[in-house]
Amino acid sequence: MRKTFGLCLIVMLVVALSGIASAVEITVWCWDPLFNIYAMQEAAKIYAKINPDVTINIVETPWDDVQTKLTTAVMAGQLNTLPDILLMQDNALQKNVTNYPGIFYDLTDSGIDFTKFADFKVNHTVVDGRNYGVPFDNGAAITALRVDILEQAGYTIEDFTDITWSRFIEIGKDVLAKTGYPLLSAVSESPDHIMVCLQSAGSWMFDDKGNVFIANNEVLKETVEIYVELVKSGVLVQVADWEQYIGTINRGTVAGTINGCWIIGTIVAQPEQEGKWRITNIPRLDKAPNATNYSNQGGSSWMVLANSPNKDIAVDFLKHTFAGSVELYETILPSSGALATYLPAGDSDVYNEPHPFFGGQTIYADITEFAEKVPKITYGVYNYEARDAVAMAISQVLQGRDIESALREAEDTVSFLMGP
Amino acid sequence: MGHLLTLKRRQNLIGWLFIVPASILIFVFYFYPIVRAALLSFQTGVGVSLNYAGLFNYQRLLSDTVLKASISNVFIFLIIQVPIMLTLALILASLLNDPNLRFRGFFRTCLFLPCATSLVSYAIVFRSLFALDGFVNYLLTALKIIERPINWTGNPWTARALIIIALTWRWTGYNMVFYLAGLQNIDRSIYEAALIDGAGGLTRFTRITVPLLRPIILLTSIMSTNGTLQLFDETMNLTNGGPANATLSISQYIYRLSFQYSPRFGYAAAISFVVFVMVAVLSLIQMRVGDVR
Repeated sequence: MRKTFGLCLIVMLVVALSGIASAVEITVWCWDPLFNIYAMQEAAKIYAKINPDVTINIVETPWDDVQTKLTTAVMAGQLNTLPDILLMQDNALQKNVTNYPGIFYDLTDSGIDFTKFADFKVNHTVVDGRNYGVPFDNGAAITALRVDILEQAGYTIEDFTDITWSRFIEIGKDVLAKTGYPLLSAVSESPDHIMVCLQSAGSWMFDDKGNVFIANNEVLKETVEIYVELVKSGVLVQVADWEQYIGTINRGTVAGTINGCWIIGTIVAQPEQEGKWRITNIPRLDKAPNATNYSNQGGSSWMVLANSPNKDIAVDFLKHTFAGSVELYETILPSSGALATYLPAGDSDVYNEPHPFFGGQTIYADITEFAEKVPKITYGVYNYEARDAVAMAISQVLQGRDIESALREAEDTVSFLMGP
Repeated sequence: MGHLLTLKRRQNLIGWLFIVPASILIFVFYFYPIVRAALLSFQTGVGVSLNYAGLFNYQRLLSDTVLKASISNVFIFLIIQVPIMLTLALILASLLNDPNLRFRGFFRTCLFLPCATSLVSYAIVFRSLFALDGFVNYLLTALKIIERPINWTGNPWTARALIIIALTWRWTGYNMVFYLAGLQNIDRSIYEAALIDGAGGLTRFTRITVPLLRPIILLTSIMSTNGTLQLFDETMNLTNGGPANATLSISQYIYRLSFQYSPRFGYAAAISFVVFVMVAVLSLIQMRVGDVR
């Protein structure tokens, strides 16, 4: 009995080894089974028709782990522990490319046509004029609202379209007074809301030369003022963590949310609320010179590792799927809501389908339109340092500190961290 | 005579053989990384481009306001939490050491059980217990102790209190076990003699239990100090260092510098050596104060 078992093991091992020898395996690190991993699986199916010898091995790796593993592998010089392709948060891409030169494969001359992707998105994947990522999901910012609650206060989704923040707060106070519902919720200590507002006016925490731009940034000052007013007026309710934020939406304790369009995946998870939601663009800043009603929150891109022995195949795979297959985007959109930044996919009929959850609104066409108008900004190498510092400043302002000195301290903190 | 020496030698050799495997492991996995970290702390730069810069990192950390904030946070935890926890552990241990107490084993197990839980999972459970609409707020409002729910993670001092409550829950039982072990070594007859002399429960506790447990108390306070200075899991998962860095621990700052920010491993290593020195100095003080013979 034991002997047979041992023999079986040997046979299995031999089969497995010979299998590896004849076929190429591309390992991919990405997160979220319902979104990125699902999209990757569909891409693998499409590529299997083009090149059957290649298998795509997807390893579920949460973003925090991707960053930690990447840093550890590079610092320890153990590059063979890295995958062939990994998914990178856009706001960390420039940081990683700059800090680890030569680790990521330069895709500029790979034959991938980057003009077919949304401009603002490609901009996040470029370092020193070279392309390092194949843009994937769309993070265009939306205002999603419960029209059944708005109706009780006498408003419609049109009242929230193309408006300013002061108007938004005005309506918000009215809705709160009449219905008791705050319009928005946000995770306290998370500066995401500030980042959305900054980008909507084409501003960031760094200037064009990459120098820290916090203390004297009038746009940032305005966004902090708005955030404080939102919280103080009760139009925005702060919660402790992400799960509670999701809870406010799904349990219906708020009348809406402002976030990247991927939040739709969360909204539709509550079937009882079908037909009650609509989306529109976000409010614009009142004073900022380049204010628009469009912004971005989140989003990620596929990167190829330069050390990969199969990097040519990895590039070919991406070229035929995420950077060339309208079919892929047509498949993943209806089932996961994974909205692309691949422009040719936007012409597909699937994008013009009315969405029943949103009362028949053609939300994907709307969001694709929003995405085209998102102002371009550069996140920079020290984005995470600046995010934390600004988050701390907001927290202090909410506890009573004046904005000027809080932002001054935030700038000093970031300058220190950027220092020699 | 010669024969006897060889026997002694042989015994010595056997003794050495016993400790060699452990020593090698300790050298390879403890001392070698410590030496490498020391070398790293003399290098400066971002990402993979590191250069030797002497004591630059140690000079740099003197003007780091976030580091100062994290050090003061950790000392707040240390000064408030460790005495509360050790006193509680001592009281519980002497209560559970009573041979007439029924279900002793059950109570001991219950108090020790928190130590068997993973640091991350208990921190996450605490976060949901202490959420704005969580169980604790529900209980406190239902019992009319507070009028409105407390936003535990939203204010600096309630967030710190939350960390202290969590740490006390997790580690009191652990320290209690050390005291229980120590109490086994105290001769019952000492208590009986004291009882005959008319000493009350409190007197017996302060005059017999505490003095005789002094070496164990010293051990637990050094371990707790060491643990608190290296605090990471609780602040990372319960409060994520917030609000406004009010609960940021030194270890979490080191983590941010290494993995979340543009990595500065040299600087992070220098900060970890500051922690090392602080642990050494505090342990030395405790040994001087506590080890009175």
